[in-house]
Amino acid sequence: MGGWFSSLFSGLFGTREMRILILGLDGAGKTTILYRLQVGEVVTTIPTIGFNVETVTYKNLKFQVWDLGGQTSIRPYWRCYYSNTDAVIYVVDSSDRDRMGISKSELVAMLEEEELKKAILVVFANKQDMEQAMTPAEVANSLGLPALKDRKWQIFKTSATKGTGLDEAMEWLVEALKSRQ
Amino acid sequence: MFAKLKKKLAEEAATAPRTGIRMPRSYSKESITSVGADSGDDFASDGSSSRDDLSSQILRRNDQIRKLEAKLSDYAEQLRLMQKTKDKLEIALEKHQDSSMRKLQDQNETHQASRAKMAEDMALALQKKDQEWMERMSILEQEKTSLSLRVDEMMEQSLSLFQKRDDLDELEGFQQQELAKVKHMLLRKEEQLSQREGELQQKEAELKMAKKALAEAQEKLRTLGVAHEERCRINADLELEREELLEDREEAEKKITELEERGQNLQKVIQQVSEDFEKSQRATAAAETCLRSLQTEHNALKLQQHKAAVTDEDKERVLLDLQEKVSSLERRLQGNLSEDQLLQELLNEKTSVEQKLEDTRVELLEARTSHADTVSSLEAQISRINKNVTELQTLLRHKDDSSKSYRERTDAQITGLEQQLQENNDRLKDTEKKITDKQSNLEKLQAEWSVEKERLEQQVSTERQQAQEMVGQLKEELTAIQTDRQTEHASARARMMELEEESACLQREREESDLALRRQAETLEQARSELSSRQTVSVEIAMALEDTRRQKEELQLQVGEMTTSLQSTSEELTQVTQQLKQREEELYTLHHELQSTQSALSQLEEEAGRLREQDKDGQLATLRQELLSQAEQLDACQSRVSELEVEVETLTLQLQTPEVCETDQNGIVTVDDLDDMQKVNRDLEQQLGEKNKTIKQLQQRLAELKRTLQKELKLKPETEPEGRERALDGRGERQDRPDRIFSDPSPATGLAPGPNTTVTNTSDLNDSREINFEYLKHVVLKFMSSREAEAYQLIKAVSVLLNFSREEEDMLKQTLEYKMSWFGSKPSPKGIVRPSVSGAPAHWS
Repeated sequence: MGGWFSSLFSGLFGTREMRILILGLDGAGKTTILYRLQVGEVVTTIPTIGFNVETVTYKNLKFQVWDLGGQTSIRPYWRCYYSNTDAVIYVVDSSDRDRMGISKSELVAMLEEEELKKAILVVFANKQDMEQAMTPAEVANSLGLPALKDRKWQIFKTSATKGTGLDEAMEWLVEALKSRQ
Repeated sequence: MFAKLKKKLAEEAATAPRTGIRMPRSYSKESITSVGADSGDDFASDGSSSRDDLSSQILRRNDQIRKLEAKLSDYAEQLRLMQKTKDKLEIALEKHQDSSMRKLQDQNETHQASRAKMAEDMALALQKKDQEWMERMSILEQEKTSLSLRVDEMMEQSLSLFQKRDDLDELEGFQQQELAKVKHMLLRKEEQLSQREGELQQKEAELKMAKKALAEAQEKLRTLGVAHEERCRINADLELEREELLEDREEAEKKITELEERGQNLQKVIQQVSEDFEKSQRATAAAETCLRSLQTEHNALKLQQHKAAVTDEDKERVLLDLQEKVSSLERRLQGNLSEDQLLQELLNEKTSVEQKLEDTRVELLEARTSHADTVSSLEAQISRINKNVTELQTLLRHKDDSSKSYRERTDAQITGLEQQLQENNDRLKDTEKKITDKQSNLEKLQAEWSVEKERLEQQVSTERQQAQEMVGQLKEELTAIQTDRQTEHASARARMMELEEESACLQREREESDLALRRQAETLEQARSELSSRQTVSVEIAMALEDTRRQKEELQLQVGEMTTSLQSTSEELTQVTQQLKQREEELYTLHHELQSTQSALSQLEEEAGRLREQDKDGQLATLRQELLSQAEQLDACQSRVSELEVEVETLTLQLQTPEVCETDQNGIVTVDDLDDMQKVNRDLEQQLGEKNKTIKQLQQRLAELKRTLQKELKLKPETEPEGRERALDGRGERQDRPDRIFSDPSPATGLAPGPNTTVTNTSDLNDSREINFEYLKHVVLKFMSSREAEAYQLIKAVSVLLNFSREEEDMLKQTLEYKMSWFGSKPSPKGIVRPSVSGAPAHWS
């Protein structure tokens, strides 16, 4: 009752806050991306034990962005945050070829969740400024993205430290979320 | 003035004993106890020792006693010192008392003088005040009437508010009913859908049946085709048979022709035989002719023989003639030539003629032999021929017989052949008949087959058509059903949309009304808080007034005491005090009225809390104005009270002045009077303290009343504790920012349930389950510090981390939902009975 009420209420009084999860393996750059999106600056981060949640306004759309810690021990708790999620930003370290398989399995396990069936997937092939970085196509293939069905997804090459690619990705996400409504 | 003295005395009292006495006493106590303890120890340890030890112990005891005696002497000295200091202090006290007495006397004189003055001034002032009060009273009465009117209005408004609330409840009920209806309709539609689906399935089953029938028909057709093929094969077989038969026929015909040919051949043979027979007959005839010719020839030959015999006889006569000629010739020769040479020549000629004769003879003989031969041969020939003829005749006979037999045989053969032929012909006919029968049969069968085929094809086609029709029908039905379904869906959706819109409208209305309500509640709250502050102020004022009244009474008492010396003034004063009393009573009543009006106002506020309509702002404005006016009144009251206080002070001064006068008049002011005064003063001070206490108590009560008012207004009993805490803690703050208490109880309440719930579940946390403690800490910290919207998202994480049960999680969710929304009731945890709301619910339910 209350949730329905509040959703209706928020529908009446301005736009609803979009709920976005930033997921990915540890050290992929999720926290950096979150604060890059929020304040537009590169912040020095420590490994996130727990999560960070910030409200990011982009193109008159308010996002409640949750950056969940990606360490192996706390990855199982991701699923506690899946409900009512509008979009998932899955951050991949493009230079980390060794753990691409783990990243894929995590992504697949995440996408199988019933609560995320309607969530839009945006993959950030991050750390493109690194020399040995994989191209977005390579990343997409190694994550098995082309095989995805019934899922609106897109991959973007990004560099959180340089700030490249984030705007395009967010623009796409905004458009996707608007079109979905 | 006494306070100072008291303070001094107290200071002296405090300093004197502290200086040197307490310390040694304490020391001694410790030492004694320590010594005692030592001795006890010694005694205990030495209980079993000898008498020497005892003596030593006694010695030790004596030493101790000596020490104690020395100490006692010290104490005696100290006591003496104390006594001295005490004497000194008493002397000083007496001095002090004297001085203070003097001072007091002076003060009393001055006081009495001032009191006399004050009494006069007070009389004047009281008169003035009286008038003012009268005016104020009238004004207050007017205000009261206006307030009562307001109260009535408020009552009406409250009633209307209740109605509104009822309406809202009804609307909500309607909405829920509508929702239920929609749900019901949806369910019905779903049922219909399911029915349709069932029908569809039935149709599909029918279709399947039809398909099965079709398949069966096709199978039949196939079997028929197979039968047809069999028939065809039979037909082919029959045709083959027919061909065979035809071939047989041809063969038979050929045989017949052959037989005919044979017959012809036989006839030919017969003819030949007959010809041969004829020939043989002819040959026999020829042979007979030949025989005849041969007989003739034989006859001729016999004739020839006869002739030859005749010729031979001729020849022999010729010979004999010739021999005679020869003999003649020879006789000639012999006679001619020489007769020997003529004879020799004649002899030679004779010999040649003889030879010739001989030859002829031979020839003749030969002829005769040949003739005889020929005759014999001829005769042989004839005999042969005769034999031949006989043979031929026998042969002929044979031949005739054979021919006859042959003929018979051939005839028989022919007849047999003819019979065979006839049989063959019959057979042929039969076969032909058969063939024709079979052909007819075949034709019939073909016709039947074709008919059957046609029929079956027709059936199949009809079945197909039926099936197609059925399929079409089913499709149509399906499409119809689908269209129905779609239309139903569309209608349902439309209904849903409408209902949603309706509900959205209702919600919007509700939101708007809620908003308005909230705004009004806020304004009301502000107003109420203002009012409450005013109330407190007024209460304080009232208290002050009461105090003043009491003081006045006391003063009156004092004045009564003073009346012996101040009769005229006391009379006036009593009058004034009576008037004052009346005023105070009036004030009191006014205050009561004010309180009642305040309570009414609070009720009105409650009611006004439900008033969400358009005139709210105006009412609020008026309320504010009222409140302002009340505040002004209160201010005025306060000012009046202060004035009254001032007056009282002046009066006391006046009274003091009269006292002075009195002293002047009576000459002597006893110390008893002063003591009385002091007592009175002390009493007054005590009373003041009591009053202050009562004021505090009253303020507390007021705060409680306010809280209950808030409770009833908000219908949120659970916020009460926080509110109470707030009220108790920040009563001072409340007047500064009273609106905060109502507008944001969330920061206080937002934290409250978190720790409660976590505390209850920490026992689960300690179990063997491995939890990243830091993570838990972080999540819980965030959960407690974040906004409700974020905290709501964190419920699940917290629940998982802390191993909450479903009920606990739900409870948490409900609590947060309740906090996020402005309305609704707090979900009561299990086992806790929600406190009932007193009074008001009778109206609402």
